[in-house]
Amino acid sequence: VRAAVSPGTVGFYALAVLFAGMALLPLLLLLKVSLSGPEDVLVQHPAFGVYHPTLEHWQAVLKPEVIGPPLRKSLVVATGTAVLAVLIATPAAYVIARLPRGWRYGVVLALLFTRMFPEVIIATPIAVTFLRAGLIDTDIGLILAHLIRNLPFVAWILVGTFEVIPRDLEEASWVDGNGRLGTLWSVVLPLAAPGIAVAAIFAWLDSWNDLLYAIYLLLAERTLPLMTYYFANRGSVFDVATFSVVLTVPVLVLTLLLQRYIRAGTLGGAVKG
Amino acid sequence: MRGILAVVLVLALVGGACNGAAPEVVAPPMGEAGTLRVVMGLAEAEWRVVREVVIAPFEQETGARVVPVQMEAADLVRQLDAQVQAGAVSIDLITQDNNQLAPLVAKGLVEDLTPFRDLIPAETPASLLPGLEFDGRLYFLPYRPNVQITYALQDHFAAHGLEPPRTWDELLAVGRTFATREKFGRVVIQGVPGAPLGVVVSEFLWQGGGDPLNLTDAGSVRAFEFMQELEPYLAPVYQTAKFDTINTYLASETAYLGQNWPFGADVIVRQYRKRNVAAYSGWAGPAGEYHVLGGEVIGIPRGAPRRELALKFAEFLMSRPVQEALLQRLAWPPMREDAFGAVAEWQQPFFAAVQGALRQARARPNVVYWGEVERVLSDAFRDVVVNKQPAVPTLARYQAQIEQARAAR
Repeated sequence: VRAAVSPGTVGFYALAVLFAGMALLPLLLLLKVSLSGPEDVLVQHPAFGVYHPTLEHWQAVLKPEVIGPPLRKSLVVATGTAVLAVLIATPAAYVIARLPRGWRYGVVLALLFTRMFPEVIIATPIAVTFLRAGLIDTDIGLILAHLIRNLPFVAWILVGTFEVIPRDLEEASWVDGNGRLGTLWSVVLPLAAPGIAVAAIFAWLDSWNDLLYAIYLLLAERTLPLMTYYFANRGSVFDVATFSVVLTVPVLVLTLLLQRYIRAGTLGGAVKG
Repeated sequence: MRGILAVVLVLALVGGACNGAAPEVVAPPMGEAGTLRVVMGLAEAEWRVVREVVIAPFEQETGARVVPVQMEAADLVRQLDAQVQAGAVSIDLITQDNNQLAPLVAKGLVEDLTPFRDLIPAETPASLLPGLEFDGRLYFLPYRPNVQITYALQDHFAAHGLEPPRTWDELLAVGRTFATREKFGRVVIQGVPGAPLGVVVSEFLWQGGGDPLNLTDAGSVRAFEFMQELEPYLAPVYQTAKFDTINTYLASETAYLGQNWPFGADVIVRQYRKRNVAAYSGWAGPAGEYHVLGGEVIGIPRGAPRRELALKFAEFLMSRPVQEALLQRLAWPPMREDAFGAVAEWQQPFFAAVQGALRQARARPNVVYWGEVERVLSDAFRDVVVNKQPAVPTLARYQAQIEQARAAR
């Protein structure tokens, strides 16, 4: 009689639960602190559970005047960065992917080369240029700054995505009477959707989490990471935990919504020369 | 593709909704006398008071509009550096941590205020003045002196029959007793390299009769050897302790004794509701009790668009009513002797400790290479105190680095 559940399946699920637990534990701790009174946290041996629950930290953070402006700023900038990065990088990556192998390899290397400089070093000259252009405290200024590091990365991911789409499909589409643009729109882009989704997620997350350029380019306004940084410096552990949860939730939601696009092999082509 | 578009649409809608719900964050309208952009690094509760007792009265008095900007000291240096390089300075006045002044002067980011020396009130204690000058030039105006005090969890001391230490010997004995009986060090110092450790080591050096700029001095060697002896009895978290984390270590009773700026009382006692905290000025070494004079000073960025209005605001900040109000509402020690007044009852023991420590306070040497000295002090601490290398040859090596930094300037 065959066992209903094989040891391999049990092991797989055990490991899955273990890794999920490791990934979720920091978030659960943040959530616990954000819902706890000082009696649960500020003791020598803090309990894992919430025995003195309070919503006061959440009430303080969720006031519209506290959460509204930074949430708006972060959402607009991250979404703007992701959309622009994909719009600009997609056609560029398609062209690069269709270059002869030697050229393609050189261009991909050149894209990665731009990521080799430490951002702390290049941030000041970039900020100086942006300040001269009057881009302080503007959404577009921060979006452009985030594009500097995201465009090469998004293009790199997409080159790999387009490379693995067979040319035969495009040629068949041409035979059916579709032009180059028609083929790109109706054949290539739908096939590239998973790669585009992954690239968009990476660009969105990178922009959402950015602190460095926000410090340089924002004076009167703040993003959520700037608010978290502020409370880390000036607030209590409860403020930091609550804001960190706020910062993390949209990331989880976005990743869950788009996870079906993240499949094995999506990035596989990205490492091909 | 439709999924992606849907997500983008949802994000855009949520962003728009937040925009609608949020209060106005665009640049405020110009005041009749102009708009002044002022940068400070404050907690939310402090901002509320500053808006109420400083900004609103100033706007009423002058017709100017003040735009307050929150920024941490280290970020301010980077931001100002970029603005000055771009020739697009938009900040009119800064109040800056006096542990972070050297980079502002070294990079030429602040105006030379020597011609405005008369703005400093006559009631300013003479001990505050040296900290405002670099190479004989006045770059800053006094605003908010500060000093670290010592916090002790008195119930834990009582449980072990101990008193908070007043001398190096007592400090060592207390540290050893806690570490031996609880198998865990309970004395914490601010051991994060850079400014936090710079303050700690400077105080020990002065208490030992040494000098932060002369590490081969007998007093400096004595101070390092004492710290070397004390280190095994410190709470292990000391290497991550700085002005913010040390509050958590004390409030969570991970440590029972530690030094921090007076705002720690507000965090530990008021926010974290700890009632077992006593405060006093600190301990003395063989040469006496000394503390680093901290706090904030006023500076005007080079190329500030509204310098005259900024100077008027600086005068206002130094005025007696403002200093009294900041003392009463935030327990900030005033920069003028005629502004001492009443503080809330729960704050009184902490403020008494501040006054005691301020009497023993010293400005750090105002040299433009102080940042390098802080790095050297941190490195020397790591080698001598943490890694137990012999003090004399190690400090001689680091003294050479200080001499190099001095020569390079």
